[in-house]
Amino acid sequence: MTERIRHTAFDMHHPAVPATYLLITLCLTMFSMQPVLIGISLVAALVFGCLERGARDTLRSLRWQLPLIALIAIANPLFSASGSTELMRIGLRAVYLESVWYGCAMGALFVASMLWFCAAASLLPFDKVMALFGNAAPTLALMVSMCMRLIPKFIRQGRLVSAVQGAMEPGTFGARAAADAMRLRLRLSTVLMGWGMEDSLQTADAMRARGWGAAGRRSTYTRYRFTATDAAALVVLALAGSFVAALAVAATAQFSFYPTTTRLVVWWGYLPYALWMFVPTTLHLREARRLR
Amino acid sequence: MSDVCALEMRGLSFTYPGLSRPVLRDVSWRVPEGAFALLVGGTGSGKSTLLSLAKREIAPAGDRTGEVLVFGRSTDALSDEEAARSVGYVFQSPDNQIVCETVWHEMAFGLENLGTPQDEMRRLVAETSYFFGMDEWFHRETDTLSGGRKQLLALASTLVMQPRLLLLDEPTAQLDPIAEKNFLHALFRVNRELGCTVVVATHAPRAMVDYATCAFELVDGRLRDVGDLDAMRRREALFVDARASAERDGEADGGARDDSGLDAVGRCPGHAEGRPRPGVRDGGVPGGMRGEPAVELERAWFRYERDSGWVLRNLDIEARRGGIHALVGGNGCGKSTLLSIMAGVLKLQRGGLRVPRQRRAMLPQDPRALFVAETVSDELMEWSRAAGYGRSDADGMLERIGLGGLGDRHPYDLSGGQQQLLALGKVLLVRPELLLLDEPTKGLDLASRRIVARLLDDMRKEGASVVMATHDLDVVEQLADTVSMIFDGEVASTAPAKEFFRGNVYYRP
Repeated sequence: MTERIRHTAFDMHHPAVPATYLLITLCLTMFSMQPVLIGISLVAALVFGCLERGARDTLRSLRWQLPLIALIAIANPLFSASGSTELMRIGLRAVYLESVWYGCAMGALFVASMLWFCAAASLLPFDKVMALFGNAAPTLALMVSMCMRLIPKFIRQGRLVSAVQGAMEPGTFGARAAADAMRLRLRLSTVLMGWGMEDSLQTADAMRARGWGAAGRRSTYTRYRFTATDAAALVVLALAGSFVAALAVAATAQFSFYPTTTRLVVWWGYLPYALWMFVPTTLHLREARRLR
Repeated sequence: MSDVCALEMRGLSFTYPGLSRPVLRDVSWRVPEGAFALLVGGTGSGKSTLLSLAKREIAPAGDRTGEVLVFGRSTDALSDEEAARSVGYVFQSPDNQIVCETVWHEMAFGLENLGTPQDEMRRLVAETSYFFGMDEWFHRETDTLSGGRKQLLALASTLVMQPRLLLLDEPTAQLDPIAEKNFLHALFRVNRELGCTVVVATHAPRAMVDYATCAFELVDGRLRDVGDLDAMRRREALFVDARASAERDGEADGGARDDSGLDAVGRCPGHAEGRPRPGVRDGGVPGGMRGEPAVELERAWFRYERDSGWVLRNLDIEARRGGIHALVGGNGCGKSTLLSIMAGVLKLQRGGLRVPRQRRAMLPQDPRALFVAETVSDELMEWSRAAGYGRSDADGMLERIGLGGLGDRHPYDLSGGQQQLLALGKVLLVRPELLLLDEPTKGLDLASRRIVARLLDDMRKEGASVVMATHDLDVVEQLADTVSMIFDGEVASTAPAKEFFRGNVYYRP
């Protein structure tokens, strides 16, 4: 099994840099209830997803994301009857155009945030998160790491337990009643429980054998050094971030859905916002070209 | 050299709480510095207890008298940090002793615990990783490693703490023969190149004799010095009465067996002679049905995921009724997958699986996948209603698997080998006509392997068919009728067991 190594934006930076960028970007996306800003964020996240995860995977996830936008767009007018342009009436409730708009924007915002979370997973892989928290709370970081191993392990063991049962099913025990299915599931959890506890006792021994709790304070094997470049990057991110945030606040403040949707106009402020949102894409392309 | 020993025990006795019989009686033991010592003895003889008493952090609770000294200092006098640093301990299970998600973190774990400064930690980790040639898989996730590499990682992550005494409890019991050789070779280098004193507890010393400088045997809680290391090279026969194997020698292949003399072969005590088997006519499969396929795969193609490689490619195999068919081959060659397909748990992407309707059962590598009950006896009774057997059958089985008197124990309180026997006994109680076994003798001592061999031989005589994936070539040679070597998703060759080994250059017991 060979793993492909992907290099992406912020690859050579301290994890604090992508973490700061992602935090600001997620806040911008989630708090800017303005159609153009949402659109920019959505497109930027999509483009980055296509580059990083591959177009097929990203577009495939649109299969459930687009219907989600539509669903929110339809559902919103049913719950909030505000606006001025009446489209139709369902029973006593009026459906307003503004309300549908709002729903569309809401859905798009939701999907954009989700795409950014996906991007976060690749920009800030788990070991980098660990490195961020490892210094402050080593025990917590270790616990999270152990839990991450536990879940797939339980799934593997569960499959094995049901395989044993499955192998016997047709010839050995004959046809089963529906009530047995429930009993089988209970049995599965019993087996897993005993097995899991037994394993963790052994793991606990292995941990103690290697000095767990022997010294007062744990140290960490952090492989990420915070350099001057990282500091500079953070300063730039902070400055640019506040500027873009100010623009976003301005754009969102002058815009409203109700009672009538504000007319959108061409504005220079969208350009810096777009530049901010396309930072990972730009960096990713640069990284990909580095050794061409 | 000074007369300070790496490990010394003086008049050590130990009794587990609630038990009256001591596990260890007045053990006095001196392991000189720089030695490669073997500690042998059967499963449940107290090897692990003895070893863990030398590692204070994991020493079991109980009634202990006597003294344990590590490099001349009593283990009770060491500080937590000194105790963790000076003695390293490697466990049997590759999976359970790994704590972290990634290889690099696992390597750093022990040093992190001791609060080692980062620069020193990184130097030690780097050095040790180079020593073991781990740099290529340094960033892998631990769960994606093979068993052999996991165990190597366990060794490396212990050694990174620079212990002067290394204790290992059955470190290779879960590994295949090739991974075992690799591991032992690494251990040998640790001993000779780094001068680290090594003590290995094992019930299968044959593979380690070449490296060992001294050996000790634990019998009935007492320790004795094994003077003659060469005696441990001997291969023991699995069937104590040579009649069973003599009988097997007389037949040409597993397909056509002579029924005569079946009952003359001695059976384990407690086995009800001539017990009627419902569903199967007495005396096993009628001669005419012998040789019919019990399970057959034709042009089988299988892979786990859309993007993964083929595990089986165009594979043909056929196991005949009333025979024991062994599958051999390296790790990841698809043996276990093949068993799951025969069990009907996995579905082929292309090709045909023909299994006549019959009682079948599968025993996975880890026996704990079967355990639900609070006691051993209840465990054996779990399928009694569904499969139609009674308490007396279960008690009989308890004797046959050599666990008589342990019926009240919790299955998890048994040793690894006893757990394996219990799981096999439990599966045999449903009287499968087709039994699929994955490494039934893995990690077992000679006595337990003999019991397994006897049980499977008895099953064959009753007409059942067995397909087993195994690395145990002794079992293959002395028990199996037919052997298939799986390689690269295909059957490289299928032959009667005797002929199979005659033609092999590397693959022999």
